[in-house]
Amino acid sequence: MNISGIAIAVVLATFPSAIPIWLAALGETVDQASGVLDLGVEGIMLMGAIAAFVVDYFYHSALIAFIVAGLVGLAFSAVHAFISITLNGDQVVSGTALWFIGWGLSGVIYAAYFGLAITPPSVPTIGSINIPVLTSLPIVGKVLFGESPLFYISILITIALWSIMFRTQFGLNLRSVGENPLVAEVMGVSPVIYRYVSVLFGGFMAGLAGAYLTVGLTGSFYFDMTAGMGFIAVALVYFGKWNPWRVSVGAVIFGLVYALSAELESIYTSVPYQFFSMWPYIATLLIILAVGKSAHAPDALTMPYVRE
Amino acid sequence: MEPYIRMVGITKKFPGVVANDSVNFEVYKGEIHALLGENGAGKTTLMRVLYGLYRPDAGKIYVNGNEVKIGSPTEALRLGIGMVHQHFSLIPYFTVAENVAIGLGSWRNGLEIEKIKAMIKDVSEDLGLYVNPDAYVHQLSVGERQRVEIIKMLVRGVNVLILDEPTSALTPQESQQLFNVLKRMKDGGRGVVLITHKMYEVMEVADRVTVLRRGRVVLNALKGEISEKALVEAMVGKEVILGSPEKRSVPQKGALSVEGLVVKGDRGEVAVNGISFVVRGGEIVGIAGVAGNGQRELVEAIFGMRKAVSGKITVDGVDITNKDIRDRVSAGLELIPEDRLGTAVIPKLSLFQNAILHERWWDPYSKMGVLSISKARDLAKRIINSFGVATPNEQVQAGSLSGGNIQKFVVGRSMARGARYLIAVNPTAGLDVAATDSVRKTLVEFRNSGGAVLLVSEDLDELLSLSDRLYVIYRGKLVKEFLPQFDRLAIGEAMMGGQQ
Repeated sequence: MNISGIAIAVVLATFPSAIPIWLAALGETVDQASGVLDLGVEGIMLMGAIAAFVVDYFYHSALIAFIVAGLVGLAFSAVHAFISITLNGDQVVSGTALWFIGWGLSGVIYAAYFGLAITPPSVPTIGSINIPVLTSLPIVGKVLFGESPLFYISILITIALWSIMFRTQFGLNLRSVGENPLVAEVMGVSPVIYRYVSVLFGGFMAGLAGAYLTVGLTGSFYFDMTAGMGFIAVALVYFGKWNPWRVSVGAVIFGLVYALSAELESIYTSVPYQFFSMWPYIATLLIILAVGKSAHAPDALTMPYVRE
Repeated sequence: MEPYIRMVGITKKFPGVVANDSVNFEVYKGEIHALLGENGAGKTTLMRVLYGLYRPDAGKIYVNGNEVKIGSPTEALRLGIGMVHQHFSLIPYFTVAENVAIGLGSWRNGLEIEKIKAMIKDVSEDLGLYVNPDAYVHQLSVGERQRVEIIKMLVRGVNVLILDEPTSALTPQESQQLFNVLKRMKDGGRGVVLITHKMYEVMEVADRVTVLRRGRVVLNALKGEISEKALVEAMVGKEVILGSPEKRSVPQKGALSVEGLVVKGDRGEVAVNGISFVVRGGEIVGIAGVAGNGQRELVEAIFGMRKAVSGKITVDGVDITNKDIRDRVSAGLELIPEDRLGTAVIPKLSLFQNAILHERWWDPYSKMGVLSISKARDLAKRIINSFGVATPNEQVQAGSLSGGNIQKFVVGRSMARGARYLIAVNPTAGLDVAATDSVRKTLVEFRNSGGAVLLVSEDLDELLSLSDRLYVIYRGKLVKEFLPQFDRLAIGEAMMGGQQ
């Protein structure tokens, strides 16, 4: 395979690899902007992945699969919301618990439905939307105009979130809750409501992200298939400085790293594949190192709001 | 005239204290009403009841003649009552306009910053409340932030504005500006409540004054009807001697010396830019300045909480520039920090544990790594008795004492250690008259017995009455030295960056 062949393969795989972290990170952005850190994204994604897979396998509807996955994510994050907002519990502990529960439970559900099979069950993936004419453009045509529907949805959500967060009263209120919930409350903004809405939205998005992994990308479910994507999504929010646009750029960069490592892994079979699969995680560390303290995190991030 | 607000028989109890005991209080439109009292007299509690932050145990509130229940600040704002707290409730990383806009419109609305700016201009221009609506709040001075707080309330259309000790962190010039704003608000038909324990503020701006003592109203009069002396008496319930303690003592040998000190601030900026000075035994050297001009970084560098980039700090000729805090403490240096509960004591530890925070390594409080509880308790008892700390015993948590008693304990602890060099940062901030007096007397006695004091304070009156010499710090530099008799106005100007 020549260099340009590799390059094309990598570029084509970039957006598909970016979408799950992208969706999850957009949800987490809202979560954190309201002051709640949800480390459970990884677990919620896995729950979304299994939920979508089961629904699509038995009911053959990708649309319903995505909706159910989103709702499962929402319900799952409701646990985190209740613990961290209503009970003022520790967000890190609660999020970590959610991760473990989602991690184990998704595997158990899979085993309960499908057991051990020599040929793992699979569902058809949703494929891509091909925009006529534009798709036939060389390279960019396929990359920009022949993507999964979720690609376009991600872009729309990015635009919508940015507008809401920075151009509406709702968004200002939301960010004020993340900065200082007491100030917000005195000004008539309910931190509890805004935080619940944000956490539930974050859960819904993580659910969608998980659904994309099974129904959108691979057509099958396997145990721990997220392999840390949820945590990378959390790190991306820091990289993106709590701005949906920057978060999206970060997600695409990670998509590129994933695509590159997967491509090289398939070419250099003599090199242990682990060498390439660790790249995204190394990239995460580098990003956090680079961003360091320069970003201003919401002041009340991870702080429970206890009314006097 | 009917008062806009009438509070009748307000009682508010906290565990173990009656903060307000059937208090009556009225606010008229077009009037500045000073609420005067020592710390812990119940002033802030009463106003928090009015602002919906506390629910009273008994009593009624009438607004415009109608009885109301105020369950939250939001409801208070709806009734036209606004409050500016001592600690500002602004978001530093939002702009002024964004801060004003929080919760202002329906959540469904778009955010029209231009409209908000017009509203700000509308309410602030006539009052002389200038701030740049596009500035980020963390870039603003304390005085400007306070203006933003006032604007926030005015945009919400308040008829009565409560200000809790608004001048405590302002320069004399800024305070004057604030008073002008308040007077204009009054002339515009609004009511103002000024919570304070500073007498001259009452005499300067108030039309009516209510004095609280131990939760009860002890005096309520129009200002014209009452003398300053009568107010002080009502406030503290006994004659106190106001005025400066005896000045001057002979400087002695030994000194805390700082040479060409450069220190960086939290954001990497040069916060202290080549400061040199000497404090000798037997003198109190004051550092005056508007908060944020490098005082904090200077103090932290001298005491070893922050690294010095360059320069030299010596105590009795011994270089301590890069030494541990432990070494500095054993060299005789002590700090009375500004943040009592955060830096001076550990609130959840008992008084006797707090008493040995600096000495826990040494004989007789520690022997081969084992603490001697009985020695620590003896020390705590000594401090409590000698410095008049009001506490049930030495075993209660430090955080359960009032601010004044914590401070007496902290100062006493430094004295008991036999410190010879003392850095005191805003040592009487937020204390009542009696505790302030006690802390200042201790500092002066310490000075008279040969100790050296570096007094960093935002309270100019305190600096003027205690200092033997005084420097003004401005943008990380000591811009001017002053000797008695101090020229108040010149000092104020130097603090604002003039006269260089």
